[in-house]
Amino acid sequence: MSKINFLAAVLCCGLAQAQSPSSVASTIVAGANGFLSSLDEGQRSKVLFDFNDAAQRVKWSNLPTTMVPRAGLKMGDLSEAQRKAAMGLLAATLSKRGYEKVLAIMGGDEALKTAGGARGATMFGRDLYYISILGKPSVKDPWMLQFGGHHLALNITMVGREDILTPSHTAAQPAKYTVDGTTVRPLGAENDKAFALINALDEGQRKQAILNYKVANLVLGPGQDGKTIQPEGIKCSAMNASQQAMLLDLAGEWAGIIHEQAAAVRMAEIKAHLAETWFAWSGPTTNGMPAYYRIQGPTLVIEYAPQPLGGDPTMHIHTMYRDPTNDYGKKSTGH
Amino acid sequence: MRRMAVGVLLAISLSPDAAAHQLDEYLQATLIGVTRDGIDVEIQLTPGVAVLPMLLAVIDRDRDGRISVEEERVYAARVAREVELRVDGAPAALWLMETTFPPLEAMREGLGTIRMKLRTMRTGHTLRFENRHLPQISVYLVNCLAAPADGLVVSGQERDEAQRSIVFEYSFAAGAAPGSLAAWIAVLGMLLVALIYRWKPREVA
Repeated sequence: MSKINFLAAVLCCGLAQAQSPSSVASTIVAGANGFLSSLDEGQRSKVLFDFNDAAQRVKWSNLPTTMVPRAGLKMGDLSEAQRKAAMGLLAATLSKRGYEKVLAIMGGDEALKTAGGARGATMFGRDLYYISILGKPSVKDPWMLQFGGHHLALNITMVGREDILTPSHTAAQPAKYTVDGTTVRPLGAENDKAFALINALDEGQRKQAILNYKVANLVLGPGQDGKTIQPEGIKCSAMNASQQAMLLDLAGEWAGIIHEQAAAVRMAEIKAHLAETWFAWSGPTTNGMPAYYRIQGPTLVIEYAPQPLGGDPTMHIHTMYRDPTNDYGKKSTGH
Repeated sequence: MRRMAVGVLLAISLSPDAAAHQLDEYLQATLIGVTRDGIDVEIQLTPGVAVLPMLLAVIDRDRDGRISVEEERVYAARVAREVELRVDGAPAALWLMETTFPPLEAMREGLGTIRMKLRTMRTGHTLRFENRHLPQISVYLVNCLAAPADGLVVSGQERDEAQRSIVFEYSFAAGAAPGSLAAWIAVLGMLLVALIYRWKPREVA
């Protein structure tokens, strides 16, 4: 691939957000093909998988890649141009705020690397994120882009304007750090909007929403594909319009990671099922304290779980985003 | 790429081991699946690195630094004894259908999970489950799986604060698919597999 074509592919990725649904798909495919063209034969054989490769599809985790090895190509093994093309493809696939969230999560892992000494250097950092492609990038046929590592797993099934982001895992440790004097909170909105919502409920509603037991971790985290639990908490039909809008805005922190057109389709689906959607909370209701919450509807499971480490659990957050009817696009693609 | 000046704002352990999660707790996560033919109980046991020595003191009974087939069997049997399922108020015997132990090295990294599947053929309308295994070092999760396609309706879920126990009412909506002969054959097959299953001892690295 010539340098001009390669740069054009990268530039295309950055323009995806302002385009029509069909041109967004075309731009993402162009970005994928540009990335693939930048690789040598050996690298391509590592990054490409069959679309129906069930083992690769579920090869993601919250844990560092040294503990749970990922397949695909590692960012640290790419040249600067290849890495730029990979990140450009990701940027084209995600919304601006979704891409920024990903960068902030990876930045947190870089902070862990810096703070972790010699062993930390081998376990954490931006170089240890992997990219893989299942199937052949196409505007017509389904294919899949995976990107992840420690505290991040994006599983994006491309099926046109309804591109599917579930299941995906976002997390943060540290959940708050500074870069050049600026505070970064990768999952700050997920925290603050949830506390705002629980405090917007009246006493009777809070009584329904708050579970009377502790939730120590994600219930439907990595390795729990295909499972759904009985919903609990307060049903959104018992919320007023303002509270429902707050819940939708909160859910948008996950649904809005993907590019705007797919996010709009997903948000419409979540809104259509709002009356059958539940909000459950476990923990204190003062922002700054560790609290677990879950949003669960017919096509949606969101979990947010501070992690106990013997230290401050608010500094280590795990979240999960699922569609029990369409994880990995199984409903949309029929695989 | 601009140079990062990292300043962590709050006191926190950032050691690599701390990132291995559930550092000083034994996470016992239980999922209960209710069907027309019986009840499935899936328990996932994940020891944090700091509590692993205490767990190994329980499992590795001869202190030889290995977890033998017999030690796996004895430990799984202990867990099965220390959980209790009641259906309509009466104890329901749980068959241990399957047990999987991770490599010991994985447990040392804080990511090894012991998985157990248990089953009873009992059916009813009120279920109570309690986990009494190693409460000194454990945190618990317990949930009932949803099965809308099977017409399962669950109500009145109640747990204790630590999630060691759960009680709920359940029923099946009229018109939903009944249990099939295939399901019974599958259960018998699982029993057979459990009987002939061979474990391999794992070395201590």
